[in-house]
Amino acid sequence: MTESKREERAILVKMEDVHLAFGQTQVLKGIDLEVRKGDAVSIIGPSGSGKSTILRCINGLVTPQRGSITVGQTAVHELKSEAERIPLRKRIGIVFQQYNLFPHLSVLENIVIAPVRIQGVGRPEAERHARELLARVRLSDKEHAYPGELSGGQQQRVAIARALAMRPELVLFDEVTSALDPETVGEVLAVIRELVADGLTSILVTHEMRFAEEISDEVLFTEGGRIVERGSPASLFHNSSNPRIHSFINGLGSGAKTRESAL
Amino acid sequence: MLDSILAGFVTYTKSLGFNFGFLTSVYERTIWIDGISMTLILIAVTIPVSLVGGGLLAAALTSGRKYLSVPARVFVELTRNTPTLVQLMCAFLVVNMLISKALGGAQYNPFSPFFWVVAVVGLHIAAFHAEALRAGIESVPSATLEAARAIGFNRLQILWFVEFPLALRAALPAIVNNLVNLAKLTTVGSAIAVGEVTYASIMIWSQRDNVIELMIVILLLFSLINLLIARTGRWLENKLKVPGLGI
Repeated sequence: MTESKREERAILVKMEDVHLAFGQTQVLKGIDLEVRKGDAVSIIGPSGSGKSTILRCINGLVTPQRGSITVGQTAVHELKSEAERIPLRKRIGIVFQQYNLFPHLSVLENIVIAPVRIQGVGRPEAERHARELLARVRLSDKEHAYPGELSGGQQQRVAIARALAMRPELVLFDEVTSALDPETVGEVLAVIRELVADGLTSILVTHEMRFAEEISDEVLFTEGGRIVERGSPASLFHNSSNPRIHSFINGLGSGAKTRESAL
Repeated sequence: MLDSILAGFVTYTKSLGFNFGFLTSVYERTIWIDGISMTLILIAVTIPVSLVGGGLLAAALTSGRKYLSVPARVFVELTRNTPTLVQLMCAFLVVNMLISKALGGAQYNPFSPFFWVVAVVGLHIAAFHAEALRAGIESVPSATLEAARAIGFNRLQILWFVEFPLALRAALPAIVNNLVNLAKLTTVGSAIAVGEVTYASIMIWSQRDNVIELMIVILLLFSLINLLIARTGRWLENKLKVPGLGI
């Protein structure tokens, strides 16, 4: 996003001092973050540092014990039941590491089920939009296939189309290429790159360092349930004074390079 | 025309050593034909009752809400673990009698023996369906459910659009087994004078001493019905088969 100055755009997601524990395990120990409309924010950091949990807090899949989360006008931390969280989830798309498509539904059905059953969009309109999205993720020829017949990369692109079918204000990408083989990573990243270029607001948890550097407005580095550093991709990847970030990025560097060549 | 065909059949089978003489008596023939159609009606009515009951019980069992799951669990255990014949006797002789009493006489009681057979056999098999479906529902990966929640489905929509379709595919062979059992179980109706095929046959053979002949027909009839149920089940399994889905 370069069209408008970042500071001028409205804040869409704001997390303040979010603490979350699963039983005795403290997962998030005070997370603050801001995402503005049109932003692409990447969260990087070692496994178990709470990256995916941050995403799940935003759409209410998990509930923090402390802190506040707002998405637009909605105070997520004040939603007390699953039923109250449904309007929030309709506005936020999420794409998972393991795709999590509905295995008994065809590609087209996977995409139209939410608009038709939840938003009450008419079937012809939902299908028209679904075909548009399939063209966008370059799977127009697969609308009648079932998830089990597709490669991982294809399934993930269907999952992206499914997330976009609700016309969300925000899409969360949760390590969407981690389960893919290096050859198919590129096709999924290419789709996300286009969406971000079109102005989609997104938060990405990723291990694709080059990709995060290329597309992000801001990069956050998490460790031990805290955001230990944040900043522009250039500052975080190249000018960070934190040795831990150096070693993390460089440790992943070689893998990221071979993946990059697949793009 | 019909009479001469029947007479020919009776004479022919007699030469083979079988006694189908009752077919030439309009009275006995009518009881017997009515018995066969009653069996078919019982099965046709009880199957949907068992499926709806099983679906509701499975939904209650997996709801995660104690006020639904505990009563459903108690019902399933009680129903599965006691003999159907005893349940039917209990329903008809005890519950039905209490209802009659409460309503001021049997003539005001709307429940017929037919109703009690459908209810008892239907709910008995429903308990087995429920267990098969529960296993299917519980085998749906939690990640798939998380995706359904994230899309904005409520609890019932998740059950209806995600869990049930997947559970049904996993549970179908077990459900078909249960339905085969259901067809056979309808014969308990004879214990409370529901005029299905065994009841009709007993009435005839106690007069004519042709047990073997009628037995053969009963066994062939149920074999045929259950062959049909099993075939339909297989057809449905194939129809619901999803390419690439390992169920």
